[in-house]
Amino acid sequence: MKEIGRKIGIAAQNIILLLFSISFIFPAIWLFYSSMKDKAEFYQSPIALPKSVNFDHYISILKSSNITSWILNTVRNSVTTLFFTILLGFIIGYFLSRHRFRGRRFLYGYFLLGMLVPVHALMVPMYVLFTKLGLHNHWYTLILPYTALSLPIAVFLVESYVQSIPVEIEEAAAIDGSSIHRTLFQIIMPVCKPILVAIGIIQFFYIWNEFTFGLILVDSEALMTVPVGLTLFRGRFSTDYPRMMTAMIISMLPAVLLYFGFSKQIMKGMVSGAVKG
Amino acid sequence: MSNCLNVKKRTIFLYMLPGIFWYSFIILIPICLAVYYGMYDWSGGISMTFTGLDNYIEVLKDPVFIQSLKNNIFLTVVCLIGQIGIAFALAMMLNGRHIRFKGLHRTVSYFPAVLSAVVIGFIWSMIYDYNYGLINTFLEAIGKSELTQAWLNNKNLVLLLAALPLIWQYIGYYLIIIMSALSSVDPQIFEMAEIDGATGFKRAIHITLPLIKNSLIVCVTLCIAGNMKIFDHIYVMTQGGPGAASSVMAMYAYKTSFLSFKMGYGSAMSIVILIICLVLVGASQGLMQYFTREKEGRA
Repeated sequence: MKEIGRKIGIAAQNIILLLFSISFIFPAIWLFYSSMKDKAEFYQSPIALPKSVNFDHYISILKSSNITSWILNTVRNSVTTLFFTILLGFIIGYFLSRHRFRGRRFLYGYFLLGMLVPVHALMVPMYVLFTKLGLHNHWYTLILPYTALSLPIAVFLVESYVQSIPVEIEEAAAIDGSSIHRTLFQIIMPVCKPILVAIGIIQFFYIWNEFTFGLILVDSEALMTVPVGLTLFRGRFSTDYPRMMTAMIISMLPAVLLYFGFSKQIMKGMVSGAVKG
Repeated sequence: MSNCLNVKKRTIFLYMLPGIFWYSFIILIPICLAVYYGMYDWSGGISMTFTGLDNYIEVLKDPVFIQSLKNNIFLTVVCLIGQIGIAFALAMMLNGRHIRFKGLHRTVSYFPAVLSAVVIGFIWSMIYDYNYGLINTFLEAIGKSELTQAWLNNKNLVLLLAALPLIWQYIGYYLIIIMSALSSVDPQIFEMAEIDGATGFKRAIHITLPLIKNSLIVCVTLCIAGNMKIFDHIYVMTQGGPGAASSVMAMYAYKTSFLSFKMGYGSAMSIVILIICLVLVGASQGLMQYFTREKEGRA
């Protein structure tokens, strides 16, 4: 009897987990197959599979909307932001970790503050600041807040990673006559590669999905990011669900491919970011 | 050790300067500006009237703001229970020996967390939709069409319905954190507990929970901080409506500043939000540490 009870328990656990997993993935699948239906077919039964496989919506959306430029904008924001975040975060994290100087503790707390500040508290003043200085509505506009807001996590991850590197490496380099500049970029930076990659992964998803600053700091349609652009679609296709769903699939695609390609590394990176941050 | 490396202070300073400058420009200057603008009656134009602390006092008395704060707190509580509770339960199951597709479950559960809040919001608006939404389609299919309704227009339900996508999206996030904490626990502890006859539930509460409490503290802090800044989901799904039934602080600050153009008042609200968040996150961390210490003392 006990054995049967145990087996039922195991089966129940397996089923519960499966149900949750299905719920996590089903909406994406629903979007995907619904994007192949036309309007009438969708409204007849929102849940049924499409009668035929066709990608007409994809072609028409790519042709008729700005979605490709939104994707390019977002990619440009991501690449530039990651470059500056990793470079500046690495430098600050390294010096905070290795060198004792006055104001070190203060600086540490100062960056910690950045992780606790809710970004929406910065919304209004940043809008005012950017419009007054003429910084809004440029291709570089969003790189400014994205980099600054990515810096704290980068600084902390590098700081704790550098602590695990033996200081002898730098001492040996110094004895061999390597300057601090060379030690920093040619010796320490390569050693830090794993954590720099992790930072890149975490912040890529942040930038790809960021909405608030994209909404308030940029209003020309040519400079919009993907999430903000998507909200424009709703106004236009409010009654055309399959088209809307197609746009959503296109907007998700880069992140989805990246995720399923590197899910292990991504999860590891995210956890280290969450726990250490 | 810095003596050995012998780097000039000036060099360190120059290296760090660009990063610190950039960071201050985005974080510190706007906060100072918000404090300043908060003291003015200002609608974005040229005319600014100094009103001192009036705006700040008014925010604290504003019924919509209070309602929004309450909604934030409601969402936080629901998400604490939903996200961390479900994640913990799923993690306990996933840690069992007889579970199939472990890797797949982990990968899939984290998937919603990499999607943008805008996409999540749209998906769930489509699920809740009156005419073609999945819920109403399902209700009609099982012959309960009298139960169909415009879900997000129901002011009693809307907040709970808005919480569902939040819970759903981030279960995987907390699941992964808890799983990685569990993997660092010596598996012999679980085996010994099993031999001693501790059942699944007891084992979870009395053995696993205390062992991973540090990770749980991290989860709780993340959850509180995350729910205080909820904005994107609400913006996409309900814009805070109907009325202020699903309004949250960030949503109200956005509406006040960018739709009603009360920039001074919006700035003051930003500062109040900032202070509330810092206090709540600080308090939650203090409380959690206090409680866990208490437990250790008794055991």
